[in-house]
Amino acid sequence: MILKIACKKHRLVWCLLGFMVLPLLSLAANPATEAAFAKGNSAYAKKHYNEAISFYKQIVDEGYQSVAVYYNLGNAYYRNGDIAWAMLYYEKAYKLSPGDEAIKVNLQFARQKTADKLDPEPEFFITRWWHAFILAFSLHALAVLSIVYVLLGFALLSYYLFAGTVLLKKASFYSGLVLIGLGFISIFIANRQLHYFNHHHEAIIFGGAVAVKSTPATAAKSLLVLHDGTKVGVLNNQNGWMKIKLPNGNEGWVAYNNVKQI
Amino acid sequence: MMRIRYYIVLFLGLLSQVAFSQNVRFTASVSKTQVGTGEPFEITFSVNAEGASFVPPPLRGFEVVAGPNVSTSMTSINGNSSTSTAYSYDLVAPQTGEFVIEPASIVVGGKRYTTAPIKIKVVKGAPVQQNARSGSSQGSGADDLQQVSSGDIGKSLFIKAIVSKPSVYQGEQLTLTYRLYTRLGIEANQLDKMPDFNGFWNEDIKSKTPYVQWRTEVYKGQAYRVADIKQVILFPEHSGDISIEPMAMTFVVQQPVPTEDFMEQFFGNNVREVKYQAKSNKVTLHVKPLPEVGKPADFGGAVGHFTVNASLDKKELKSSEQLNYKVTVSGAGNLMLMQAPNAIFPADFEKFDPKVTDSLSENANGVSGYRTYSYLLIPRHQGNPTIEPVKFSYFNPETGRYQTIATPSFSVKVNKGPTENNVTAYADDEQDITRTEKDIRNIKTDDVDLSKVGQGFFGSIWYYVLLLLGPLLFGAAYAYRKWYEQYNSDIVKVKSRKASRIAAKHLVNAQKQLNAGNSKAFYEAVFRGLYGYLSNKLNIPVADLNRENIVAGLRARQVQEPLINQLVHTLDLCEMARYAPVSGIAENEVFNQSKTIIHDIEDSL
Repeated sequence: MILKIACKKHRLVWCLLGFMVLPLLSLAANPATEAAFAKGNSAYAKKHYNEAISFYKQIVDEGYQSVAVYYNLGNAYYRNGDIAWAMLYYEKAYKLSPGDEAIKVNLQFARQKTADKLDPEPEFFITRWWHAFILAFSLHALAVLSIVYVLLGFALLSYYLFAGTVLLKKASFYSGLVLIGLGFISIFIANRQLHYFNHHHEAIIFGGAVAVKSTPATAAKSLLVLHDGTKVGVLNNQNGWMKIKLPNGNEGWVAYNNVKQI
Repeated sequence: MMRIRYYIVLFLGLLSQVAFSQNVRFTASVSKTQVGTGEPFEITFSVNAEGASFVPPPLRGFEVVAGPNVSTSMTSINGNSSTSTAYSYDLVAPQTGEFVIEPASIVVGGKRYTTAPIKIKVVKGAPVQQNARSGSSQGSGADDLQQVSSGDIGKSLFIKAIVSKPSVYQGEQLTLTYRLYTRLGIEANQLDKMPDFNGFWNEDIKSKTPYVQWRTEVYKGQAYRVADIKQVILFPEHSGDISIEPMAMTFVVQQPVPTEDFMEQFFGNNVREVKYQAKSNKVTLHVKPLPEVGKPADFGGAVGHFTVNASLDKKELKSSEQLNYKVTVSGAGNLMLMQAPNAIFPADFEKFDPKVTDSLSENANGVSGYRTYSYLLIPRHQGNPTIEPVKFSYFNPETGRYQTIATPSFSVKVNKGPTENNVTAYADDEQDITRTEKDIRNIKTDDVDLSKVGQGFFGSIWYYVLLLLGPLLFGAAYAYRKWYEQYNSDIVKVKSRKASRIAAKHLVNAQKQLNAGNSKAFYEAVFRGLYGYLSNKLNIPVADLNRENIVAGLRARQVQEPLINQLVHTLDLCEMARYAPVSGIAENEVFNQSKTIIHDIEDSL
């Protein structure tokens, strides 16, 4: 009888856990989008890149975001020679998963095919390291990691309360504290990454050669010309004009229809 | 009829007037400007056109020995015939003093021309310039007209350096002419030294004919044979007063030698050949700096007068194809010294350094012609770029101002070319990755990992719930331990709580024995179970446990009397069965009964 009660408690915990995790998994389990993804992949494998693009786009149009879909879209556009679009989707994928090696490599390839070779503004080395550090993992990974750390840490602390020997008690207590610490660090990094992307709006130039103007007006003086696929920083938007910042530090205005925000 | 003739004559008259008025020269020259009394000399008035009503000047103070002798010569060059007429008089001055020969006049084409007055100095006695070596300074030497001493060759043969402008701007071109004046026969000549022209860029004017062109010119009242032996165009490179060193030439001239021998004199052998070095005068030029006021920023050093034009060979092309853009600067000035005009091309045009072609000619007026800069352009991307106008600035020395002229702008249509996306020329300067990997990595096929845009896991409700789960778990564990410690702090209560569990253990054993048909062991187990249970429950050690204190204990805990009786009965039965076989009672029943009893006691306590 008592055994029965204990058993019931376990089931409750599992049910609770399942109840929490299930909604997260349910999105991935959407059969229609899964099918579109698979169709897109097979079309890509057959080198029907336009077809692949339309399948992937279908998923994106439904309001989903996915590293794999963005990355595959980038690849399909790259193969089609649409470097600007490839850049846009690679960058989107990069934003979701900044630590992904494949995305970085393909971004390099796409960047090589863009016309403008702009040298990036030199960053202070500590700033550069810091950005590399906070962008090493995707936000999702960091979130999952933080949950795992915190749960495990508290589980170990709980075990400490009931552990039989002093050694076990010590081991569980300190390891639990370390894990909780790691959990909070990952939360902090995730927070910083979110902040970074929220304050680093970027856009890709579209439409051949685009004149960068000194003021937001068609008649304004052209400062320079940018081409398809160049990534620029976005400072603000105003009446159909976007104030952009180039990697080398120059600023100017471009018509809104010539850029797509990442 | 008369009218027509009248008009023809008038027309011809006008025509000739136009023709003559171009460069009529009417000059007066004397063979000597300083003569001795009684020494004959010649005065010549020459006109290089057909003149009428020649009026000689009143030759006061001179006696006309012979003349006027009129000689007419006609020359025809390339079909252009020209006439020249000379009126000459042989004069003798009877008295010493200074005399001025008044201007003569002539009418050419209806216009009256006059000569310049000539000053003649008449000195006492026979030939003024007596040859020292002749040793015979008699009056007979008075007819020794061509006699010139060696020290005086310089007066009969000299080189003048003439600049077209004495004062120029820096970079403005001027012409320097070396003009040879001679009244002597030249046998041979040799150029000794040309100046270095330090401070100038110089261009020689190539003579069109291999030999020099001689003409007659009157200089200081005397007629000379004149030839331009050298012409150079100069471009001053800096401002200030710049001197040009003299040019030196050595001539072998025929010098008349006075002689007593009449025959020799008659047959003209009275000359000897003399080597003589002639030096030109030193010229100093005043070079003004270019004004700073109004100097355009793109001024490239062009001085003169220019026009600029541009042309494009195509209006429409595909990307990566070639485009030729030509800028031509034409005019007169320092074309070869100026910088290329600053042409600005659309940013995505690949451009090469311009090819420069010159077509320049040098003449007495300076350097003129055109210079072409041809740019090879390769548009790299499609679009409609515009080639901005090329602005060309130059300094006009005539007005003293800078002028800026511009070419038209051109718009080009660049269509998408086949190779636009395969520009591999840039591949080298990028990251290290390119060296190890040749192509993009393949697509991801394993996991879609979808999420709704703007609904990331991080920061969602579920994230916080899961995050809080840890502390909650810990809190629960802590609370549980607190409760557990409290719960187990009373040993009596703990024992009592454990009682049923120990009983249950014995009963499970009893069940086993029952199934095995081992009745003795069965009763043993049931008995131990009940006793153990009661011992724990009533907190009485097993050794002290007997029927009396069991009943008392149960009564004290207000267990109902029938239940106590039933328990005592079962205990008795078990005790009995342990030692002797029992019949009439099913073992099963005993088992169930003991279970029920424990249950009931648990419930009632």
